Amino acid sequence: MDLIAIFTIVLEPRILGTILLCTLYGAFVGAMPGLTATMAVALLVPFTWFMDPVQAAAAIVATTTTAIFAGDISGALLKIPGTPASAAYVEDSFRLSQTGKPRTTLFTSLFASVCGGVIGVAILAYATPQLAQLSRSFSSDEAFWLATLGLSCAVFVGGPSVPRNFASLFIGLAVATIGIDVAVGHPRYTFGVLELYDGINFIPAMIGIFALSELLRNAALGRQTRLGKLVVEPLLVAIRAAWQEFCKRWVNVIRSASGGTVIGALPGAGADVAAWIAYAVSRRFSKTPEAYGRGHVEGIVDGGAANNAAVAGAWTPALVFGIPGDSVTAIAIGVLMMKGLTPGPDIFANDTVLVYTIFGSFFMANVLMLFTGGLAVALATQVLRVPRAVLMPLILLLSMIGGYAITGSVIAIWIILALGLLASGMIWASIPLAPAILGIVLGRIVEDNFMVSMMKARGDLTEFFARDTAAVLGTLTLLVWAALLLRAGWSFFGNRTSSK
Amino acid sequence: MILRRDFVVGAVLIALAVAMIWGAQGFPRIRAMPYGPDLFPKIIAGGLILSALGIILEGLRNMRSGQADDSTTRGTITPLAALSFLGIVALVAGFALLLPVLGFHVAAALVLLCAVRIFGGNWVLAGIMAVFAPVVLHYIFYTVMRVVLPWGVLASYAW
Repeated sequence: MDLIAIFTIVLEPRILGTILLCTLYGAFVGAMPGLTATMAVALLVPFTWFMDPVQAAAAIVATTTTAIFAGDISGALLKIPGTPASAAYVEDSFRLSQTGKPRTTLFTSLFASVCGGVIGVAILAYATPQLAQLSRSFSSDEAFWLATLGLSCAVFVGGPSVPRNFASLFIGLAVATIGIDVAVGHPRYTFGVLELYDGINFIPAMIGIFALSELLRNAALGRQTRLGKLVVEPLLVAIRAAWQEFCKRWVNVIRSASGGTVIGALPGAGADVAAWIAYAVSRRFSKTPEAYGRGHVEGIVDGGAANNAAVAGAWTPALVFGIPGDSVTAIAIGVLMMKGLTPGPDIFANDTVLVYTIFGSFFMANVLMLFTGGLAVALATQVLRVPRAVLMPLILLLSMIGGYAITGSVIAIWIILALGLLASGMIWASIPLAPAILGIVLGRIVEDNFMVSMMKARGDLTEFFARDTAAVLGTLTLLVWAALLLRAGWSFFGNRTSSK
Repeated sequence: MILRRDFVVGAVLIALAVAMIWGAQGFPRIRAMPYGPDLFPKIIAGGLILSALGIILEGLRNMRSGQADDSTTRGTITPLAALSFLGIVALVAGFALLLPVLGFHVAAALVLLCAVRIFGGNWVLAGIMAVFAPVVLHYIFYTVMRVVLPWGVLASYAW
């Protein structure tokens, strides 16, 4: 597809309007402390149900892109990152705001985010068709290894504790076993509930994990965020100062955006991991590393560019292999599957319009974010004064109606409750959520492909290494497992030796 | 003795794994097939047990090195916090039970009335939200998006 054709679709009033509305929505949700980008997308899903696939994908892309940037707003003004992706540089942005430069800080971050996002989508648009070409000859063997490799990567990048990352993954896989099995069609762990025969519906599951668990945490914390008196610069002065700051740091933006896209493409490593790594790399290469964490703008530029680039990067494995790069793309895959589209190499041949509209939407969302994000920065002090007692109950009700709208049955509300409690328990136990999400999404794919391969090979496990590509992917997976075992052993025995 | 969080987590995961294995015992097998529907649940249960043992070992190591339990360093949960948490859980369960019986308007109004209070709003705000928000949301979902929301006790006013 050529560029003119892509932009003809993206500039259609219906699509452009959706992108504009969703960037505003993403800016609002992202700016509110405690409401994450994933939560914004989970709450958006019931509405995407009534859109065509192209419009739905554009809505998800636009919401995420802006929400990740808007997370910086409450970080800078309240020292509470709006989304986890802003946590890496929250200390710097807050301290800069306290010196009377909140708008300059946020506009610098906005310019870095827009530029990072555009670089991310350029890499996405270039890399994905090439990878799709490569993966077109994959059989069930390769699909099995690829999904297993995705799950293993999620464990690898999940968190500092390997046993907890594994526990998260197995919890997700356990949830995925509910429903009729692929081998003999026997219902597993359904307790006679007919609505569970098709498995746990993915959308109520995501709403439970990301929206209800957050509401429960907010209710338990009873946190009231108060915006103190803040000196705010005139808008034009702030924009000019931010632009000058951004122009001085363009090398940082290119470096962090490229790195962020690659990190975002790793399953389980989302925008937050990309921002942390970019911030650490930035400090290492900086001429003033001692200023980091004390109100230094360099880390904000790097982190802001990386986390928005990672949003685009996460779509690479999602589109090419059907393996989500982060929680948002996990939801996006669920939405596309509900609409009868299966992400994977064939989507590039069968649904070219959709794929290229996603690229175009990313670009357009980043351009529009300059205005909607700028508007959010200009109105930030008003946005952050919306009372919790108004917002949280509405989100609670929207979550439940959203789940109900998808299934048309109260089973969705019970799934939301069960998985919300499960996620709350995992948060209490310091078990990361990302590997569990991948487990829920990929569990069925791993099992289905394993069973198909075993039926073909009559139970001979060595057949998984018979094809060249499968052997390479299998070896890679085994290497990741070996690295995980080494890391677990090192963290256990290494720490024990050092503690003596 | 305060039970360390790691041990509780490990025990819960092992209990879940045992339940999975016990449940998988009844899954049928077909002789012609090398692997049946019980294979993956058993592998997952095995993984859960190994993860649980790893978490317990981590807890033991931290205990020996004198590191404080995370749950104690985070501070205790106040009765009010626990009540708010349970209140939201009860609201979700209540909504699932009452929605088909009372219908969307009444069930949503009750949820909002209680939720606004839990999140620190006063009765006036709770009342305003309970009256207006269900009407607006019903219009968006029922009229615009064509979601079939139950009318319940207001069935005679349905359109």
